[in-house]
Amino acid sequence: MTSMETTTKTADQILEQLRDYVAYTLTSAKGLYREPHSYGAMRMVDSMERALHLLQEAGIKDEALELALSAVRKERWRAMTDPQGFGRAIDDSVLGLVVLSINK
Amino acid sequence: MKVIDAVKSRRSTRSFEQRTLPPEMIQEIENAILHSPSGSNAQESHFVIVQDEQQLRLIKRFAPGLSGDPAAVVVLCSNATESLIRGGIDTAEVLRFVNLGIAAAYILLIAHSNDIGNCPVRSFHRESIKKVLGLPEEIEPELLISLGYADMPPRSKTSKKVLEVISYDQYGNNH
Repeated sequence: MTSMETTTKTADQILEQLRDYVAYTLTSAKGLYREPHSYGAMRMVDSMERALHLLQEAGIKDEALELALSAVRKERWRAMTDPQGFGRAIDDSVLGLVVLSINK
Repeated sequence: MKVIDAVKSRRSTRSFEQRTLPPEMIQEIENAILHSPSGSNAQESHFVIVQDEQQLRLIKRFAPGLSGDPAAVVVLCSNATESLIRGGIDTAEVLRFVNLGIAAAYILLIAHSNDIGNCPVRSFHRESIKKVLGLPEEIEPELLISLGYADMPPRSKTSKKVLEVISYDQYGNNH
């Protein structure tokens, strides 16, 4: 279920967070030219998390989606030390999204 | 804490409490920097200790590798020009980076021995950080170290087997 909540953030604050998000994503893209291969998946997941956080700050939150992402959140710490384990966690979250999509 | 205990127990911290560092801790970091050795005693490196909230936010904006909200960030910078003048070609080409690595280790261990979480970070946009800090042309940011109170216990570390890393008397000799 998607819920709309009253936002407590001002437009300026959200704009500032949007700048954080854009700079983070753009800088991550540049970094990938020289950084380890496995960083790509980690940066994409982190970027997605920031986008979801922005939406949440704007008053939009989808609990089913949050639940589907729980595996990747829980195993996020493996991104650098155990990339394959992190990959499996992404698999689990993707499968969660499949279930969510089919049942919609 | 003994140095060997600090070496064995230090782990990278990527999530911090919202808590500032006491001035004594910053002095300890300054001591770590000032007492760190450098080749030919060139002391060519420069360090920027950042605690200002807005500056931290801007650094985070252009440093994807900087996780969590640290109370401070130490920016370790090299200086090719001064390296050449004070240490010669070898220092300019290689030793200035070795020197920064040694200083980084000092900072990490001093921080950890004072129960301050820390993490060295190389994933950042060099030119952006340079602009944020107002660094002169010849000063280059090479490494960030985040500092703050960890908000969760460290995870265990996986290390290679000793025989894969260390030889005795000759390369490949394991005993």
